[in-house]
Amino acid sequence: MRKTVFKYFFDFFDGQRIWLNSMAKRGYRLQKCWNMAYTFEECRPDEYEYAVEYVGAQSYSRAKDYRGYLEGMGFRTFTKNINLNISLGKVRWRPYAKGMGQIAASPGGFNKELLILEKKKDGEPFELHTDLKDKINTYKTIRCTYTWAVLLLLCMIVMTFIPGFSSVPEHVLWVLRIIIAIIALLFLIPTVKYFTLAGQLKKESRTFE
Amino acid sequence: MISIRDNIIGGALTETTFLVLLAVYKPNHGYGILQFIKRETNGRVILGAGTLYGAINTLLKKEWIAPLNDESDSKKKEYIITDAGKEKAENELKRLGDVWRLAAAIMEGSKGE
Repeated sequence: MRKTVFKYFFDFFDGQRIWLNSMAKRGYRLQKCWNMAYTFEECRPDEYEYAVEYVGAQSYSRAKDYRGYLEGMGFRTFTKNINLNISLGKVRWRPYAKGMGQIAASPGGFNKELLILEKKKDGEPFELHTDLKDKINTYKTIRCTYTWAVLLLLCMIVMTFIPGFSSVPEHVLWVLRIIIAIIALLFLIPTVKYFTLAGQLKKESRTFE
Repeated sequence: MISIRDNIIGGALTETTFLVLLAVYKPNHGYGILQFIKRETNGRVILGAGTLYGAINTLLKKEWIAPLNDESDSKKKEYIITDAGKEKAENELKRLGDVWRLAAAIMEGSKGE
């Protein structure tokens, strides 16, 4: 039996991974995902395991090569969007990315910022990054993405204060500002979380490799 | 003796780097490298696939390892250590030997006191 669930994750990295694994534990195997929808098929409970990898800061060709490599490792892969982009027609700017990853086009790397990986449960931990330095880098890239999201939302609030910004009545503008502020706050939670995680690991890395 | 200068310039290799170099003394592909490391360290080191991907790309850029065939499909790509890579691995073996001898001398000595 198929089951479709709609969900949005403010914490797209850990939050999504934990949720997918809890679904697998209850006997649901991911079949398809797009926008905010996930389609599952029934399977034996606890048969599969999921990991989420963030590739939104990489160039499209690099992300594609990485996906091919992971498939070669025997993982089933899905691409997923994170909806944290600025849109300019068909080309998107990702201020948090590095080099060519900053420009995402559709079709291309846009809406494929995440890789969801599936493997059969074999008793070994499903960890993609085992090196302290590598883990720190992963958290840093994610926290950079969230920081930009928060900054851009704050910019939007500031813009609404520019005289003559719109003909919308003042009380409607305040509602808009409050809504944007709430969204910014929701993104601020993961920002702080990944800042803390990277900081903790950095301390560890002074003693351990 | 190991000097601090060496640590910055010549550098101690990370364990990941050293183990990956050892795994490609004979041609090996990604999955094979993971299996080699797990087997030869008796499961003490289990490398994540993402970490290995980063390590392979860094080593390719440094030319310490080279792709064996011109396979564009990264699923089947095999790698082999280069002469430069062998030199780095040999230096690391010597460095580890020095550290081992130093540690053994001090720690054995303290037992006798």
